[in-house]
Amino acid sequence: MSDIKMSRNSIKVMPGALVCEESKLRGDITIGKDCIVHPMATIIAEAAPIIIGENCLIEEQASIIYRVPFDKVEDKDNIPPLKIGSFNVFEVGCVVEAASIGNNNVFEAKCFVGNKVTVTNGCTIGAGCHLTEEQELKENIIIYGSNCQMREGLSKPMPQYSQMDTLMKILPNYHHIRKPSVKGK
Amino acid sequence: MSAGIIDIDYVKYACTCGLLKTLQQLYFCRYCSELRCSFCVSHEVDSHFCGKCCENLPSPEARVKKNRCVNCFICPSCHHELSTRIASKQPATPEEAKATKRTYYLSCLCCRWSSRDIGLPDQTSATGSWPKRKTFMQDKEFFKRKQKEKIISYTDKTGITAASLRKRIGLPEDKPILKLKNAVKMVTPSIAQEDIDDFDEEVLTKSINLLEITSIDQRLLQPDVQPVEMNMIFPVQKMLSIKRSLRCRSCEHNVSKPEYNPNSIKFKIQLFAFYHIPEIRIVTVQPLRAGVPAELLIKFTNPTQHQTTISFLPFDTPIEIKESTAEVGGSKGEDDTSDLDKSLPLMKVIPSGAKVMALVDSHLNMSRSSARMVTPRPLDVSINCDVEIPSSTFILPPRDDAAEYDDFNEAHNIQDDKKLVIWRKSNKAFIKLIVTPKEDTSIGTVITAGFTMSHLYTNTITSVAENKKPQKFNHNIKLILDLGKSVGSE
Ligand SMILES: [Zn+2]
Ligand SMILES: [Zn+2]
Ligand SMILES: [Zn+2]
Ligand SMILES: [Zn+2]
Repeated sequence: MSDIKMSRNSIKVMPGALVCEESKLRGDITIGKDCIVHPMATIIAEAAPIIIGENCLIEEQASIIYRVPFDKVEDKDNIPPLKIGSFNVFEVGCVVEAASIGNNNVFEAKCFVGNKVTVTNGCTIGAGCHLTEEQELKENIIIYGSNCQMREGLSKPMPQYSQMDTLMKILPNYHHIRKPSVKGK
Repeated sequence: MSAGIIDIDYVKYACTCGLLKTLQQLYFCRYCSELRCSFCVSHEVDSHFCGKCCENLPSPEARVKKNRCVNCFICPSCHHELSTRIASKQPATPEEAKATKRTYYLSCLCCRWSSRDIGLPDQTSATGSWPKRKTFMQDKEFFKRKQKEKIISYTDKTGITAASLRKRIGLPEDKPILKLKNAVKMVTPSIAQEDIDDFDEEVLTKSINLLEITSIDQRLLQPDVQPVEMNMIFPVQKMLSIKRSLRCRSCEHNVSKPEYNPNSIKFKIQLFAFYHIPEIRIVTVQPLRAGVPAELLIKFTNPTQHQTTISFLPFDTPIEIKESTAEVGGSKGEDDTSDLDKSLPLMKVIPSGAKVMALVDSHLNMSRSSARMVTPRPLDVSINCDVEIPSSTFILPPRDDAAEYDDFNEAHNIQDDKKLVIWRKSNKAFIKLIVTPKEDTSIGTVITAGFTMSHLYTNTITSVAENKKPQKFNHNIKLILDLGKSVGSE
């Protein structure tokens, strides 16, 4: 990541979102309503802006990095922003560089999703699974186990409402919180 | 034991039976005062339990339940344990909320498979009501037939199979007798055909959806059904685990016995050789060249609460049967068998399957005491390095856990042979030996050295029972050291 981009930090936090001040946010990032970003989470918008939808949970040590998509290396100035849908969970220590992320996905602890992967809706990437090859995960796909076995789920994973509510109450007691900023300010 | 940190296989101890094992793999029977490895103890099933719900089952009950837990299931998709979840379906009307109770379903936290995936209806009680798929084992007729032909099985008690038993007592192998009536029919060779009835051409044309097809692992988890499609898999009852006790075959005392409670990982009896026999580790060795003497430093640690004296004997010293062993070990064999084996380099004979033999012997009109003795197998090792056996001995003080934290505990009045003992602290000592690889070893061959260690062993087992002084005697063990590859220039 270049220093020029570092200096162009532009963080927009929607009202209702809880973003800890210690979290590492670089580039042009928009964090949607009712999201939670833990203190040691990392979000880097290297190639283009990242827009995160509502009710996303980004846990400790999780990193979301938007690198230049592999098929757009030639056309660097024309990269669309990375839109991350709603109700996504990024668990502890996951590294997500996916090219596109829909709604209701769960990235379990310590998983890795490369920048050639397209994640649609309701997918679960199991703990420790590494996805690097170019692929599109269809809806409700579950990746699990040491060999990254794949199966199709019956429905999308349940949103963790009670956990989100608890975190909303507890986190402000122990951490400094970024003040919400209205978009375009 | 964590392999690689404690269990290092550069130093091997010869078990009484002749197998080479690391100290951590060996047991020490205090009644026979002999090393025992997993091949010369009898393995017995102590108890059956479920690893998930920790329920203990007596062995007849476990057998009736086919060694599976009634309440716990494993995931047919990924083999993890399934957890019971409360269904979070909201009732549509308040009346419905009153009428319906809580419902449960099974769900896997690893691959997120659930009992709803195959359309199993949610259950009203958390345990016991899950539908079972009918298998041929549930066929009542089959079961009745099985019960009629009740066979008394020694294998349940001893863990020894019928085939190995026959071999041991010298009976011919139990081969089914081929009747001439059932002579093999001639097989007619198959002929290739152009038109096949009921041939579904979709097999060739339709692309398969791998998400609907089970993997080999998933099929083999249910060998009776071997489901081909994902919608045919079914929760599998969890297999029970066992707690195992190990019994010395010579004296029938336990060398390892776990606590009965499945929640406990402790042992009632755990006679690891690690607690009784001095531990030896290689500290350093000078570069090994063929025919050139090199210094070898080894560390001795005394794990016992008693002082011991260690002396060295040549590797091919015959290990003799001790008087005390015959005394303590009740069902030791007659001396005539051991007399026969005097010609062999290792004079000791070990009993094999004493308990089983006693049962069989009664059939053969032999006395119970005459357990069959088996000579230990020859050591499977080629020694290509001479060890200069020191004439002097050295003392190892007893283990003192507090000494670990005591920096000033250096004062010891042990007169050492300074050529033999290089350094010592509490119950440890560094010993210098001179090793010479044989003249004809080529560069790069693994150098193996061996010697017999004689250590003074204090047996407290009889002193407690008979109020006598602890027995002290020298116990000899053959040791094989892997010193690494030889070096040199052509
Ligand atoms: Zn053995
Ligand atoms: Zn159970
Ligand atoms: Zn599973
Ligand atoms: Zn014994």
